[in-house]
Amino acid sequence: MLFLQLLVNGIQVGALYALTAVGFSLIFGSTRIFHVAHGATFTLAGYVFYELYSVAGAPWIAALAVATAGAGIFGVLVDRFVYAPIQRHEGSFFTVFVASFGITIVVQNLVGTAFGRGFVSISSPLSRSVELAPGLYAPPTAAISVLAAVVCFVGLHFFLTRTHIGMALRALSENPDLVRVFGLDPRRLSSYAFALGSLLVVPGALLTGATAGLSPALGNHVMLISLAATIVGGVGSLRGAACGGLLLGLAENLALWQLDPQWSEAVTFVVLFLFIVFRPAGFFGRVATQ
Amino acid sequence: MIAYAMNLATLIAINAILAITLNFIMGYAGIFSLAHALFFGVGAYTAAWIAMHVTGDFFLTVSAAALVASLLSLALALPALRVREVYFVAASLGLQVLGTTVFAEWKSVTGGIGGVIGIPPAELFGVPISDPYAFLALALACLALVIAVTYALVRSSFGRSLTAIRDSESAAAAYGKNVALIKTLAVVVSSALCALGGALYAFYLSFINVESFGLDTSILLMAMVIIGGTGTVLGPIIGTVLLLLLPAGLSYLSFLPHTEIGSIQQMIYGLAMVVLMIFRPGGLVGARSLGERK
Repeated sequence: MLFLQLLVNGIQVGALYALTAVGFSLIFGSTRIFHVAHGATFTLAGYVFYELYSVAGAPWIAALAVATAGAGIFGVLVDRFVYAPIQRHEGSFFTVFVASFGITIVVQNLVGTAFGRGFVSISSPLSRSVELAPGLYAPPTAAISVLAAVVCFVGLHFFLTRTHIGMALRALSENPDLVRVFGLDPRRLSSYAFALGSLLVVPGALLTGATAGLSPALGNHVMLISLAATIVGGVGSLRGAACGGLLLGLAENLALWQLDPQWSEAVTFVVLFLFIVFRPAGFFGRVATQ
Repeated sequence: MIAYAMNLATLIAINAILAITLNFIMGYAGIFSLAHALFFGVGAYTAAWIAMHVTGDFFLTVSAAALVASLLSLALALPALRVREVYFVAASLGLQVLGTTVFAEWKSVTGGIGGVIGIPPAELFGVPISDPYAFLALALACLALVIAVTYALVRSSFGRSLTAIRDSESAAAAYGKNVALIKTLAVVVSSALCALGGALYAFYLSFINVESFGLDTSILLMAMVIIGGTGTVLGPIIGTVLLLLLPAGLSYLSFLPHTEIGSIQQMIYGLAMVVLMIFRPGGLVGARSLGERK
């Protein structure tokens, strides 16, 4: 029964990880920007929703709209005002990475100063657990997480295969030079990638706030998970990132079956480390790593 | 006041050792490790264990700390040989998280979250160094040694091979350089010297716990190197002095709430990282751009 319970928890967490990781992977795959501040977007979206819905008492749909818009705008602003100037004079992977890390540190501490360093949780009737079978509990948010993930993935799939911008984004990840020759502006496409990728953190941020709670340091954890899922799944493959996220969510929870909770994060990183050393291309990766 | 300045000077000397050894792999070998605090911790815990269970002799404890750290650093060298960039950063992050968990959980050696208490002072030729002036002198001597060793290595043919590998691994290999061996040696030397800093830290505070060796420390060390100037001799030292004087300076500004000084410090260095990367990616000292150019 414990195993089933952990499986249910794992699926819920995994679905949210998958969404966040796909956002990260979409940005990384199409722009080659190692956007570790993706975790900061997650924290911001969660806290904006918390402030409006739980503290100010706004209707949830309005709070959701503001949090969504906030996430997208934050992503695009970071791309425009931090990454674009860096890429103009130099493009080294590490310069971008350090700047992105700096943003994460600033956001984490701003949020910590404004809201306190402890956990806050978005209370809602949906986060109360229901007994599904004797001894097996799951809150409605678990179903909502899975549903949100499926809806977002289907939407994303159609966006990337049926619309002009989506096709251009896929082209950008395949061959940026050819995109430029074709007359499309890679900088503008990069903004689209950031907006879209950042929007994908919103369901994860809200539902994590409603179940496990939010804390300023959560962004780091989300960033590590997204990065791990992207690599385990294979860089450049959105399907891989989704599978990777789900796998890591499951691994983290199923590890509790045998190990103490403080080891669950270490389990994730042992998996990641082994993948990097022995199969850096991940499950679905095609990109050379050297 | 004197005691305060002495304390700050000793911590600056210890942190400068860590920053310089990180710069050695980051700036010259292009290995961007986020696991440096791990080797700092390994050095500190090894030194503490030897001092409490075997001998307090400074040279013996430091050698043991350096030996353990260099063996464990092979775990970092392994991904450094196989992958680059994002993959390596991720692997080093993984090691750091794993290491922090082990530090917190291996209670018989590390004391868990509570840490190791009551580490005896280091002994130099049988004389315990408990006087703060003598300890500062010891820390500065170690710092001078680390600067001398890294400087000599960077200027030698080994250092030139390292920068060649950083700028183009395949070109270096084509010139007949043993890329794997050179990279592994760089990681081992850096970690062993970093463990020296860890040993000094354990002896200085006589108390260590896992909080000093986590990801936050790795990030702080990286910030020191980057803000000062990657791949320069002076850069990491300047970065260390600046980042350690920052909280001291902030605490003099009485209008800032005391509880927030830590996060204000972090905001300032976070912002400094962003601004420097946009306008001066080589850091305060370095004029050149980082690593390989596109």
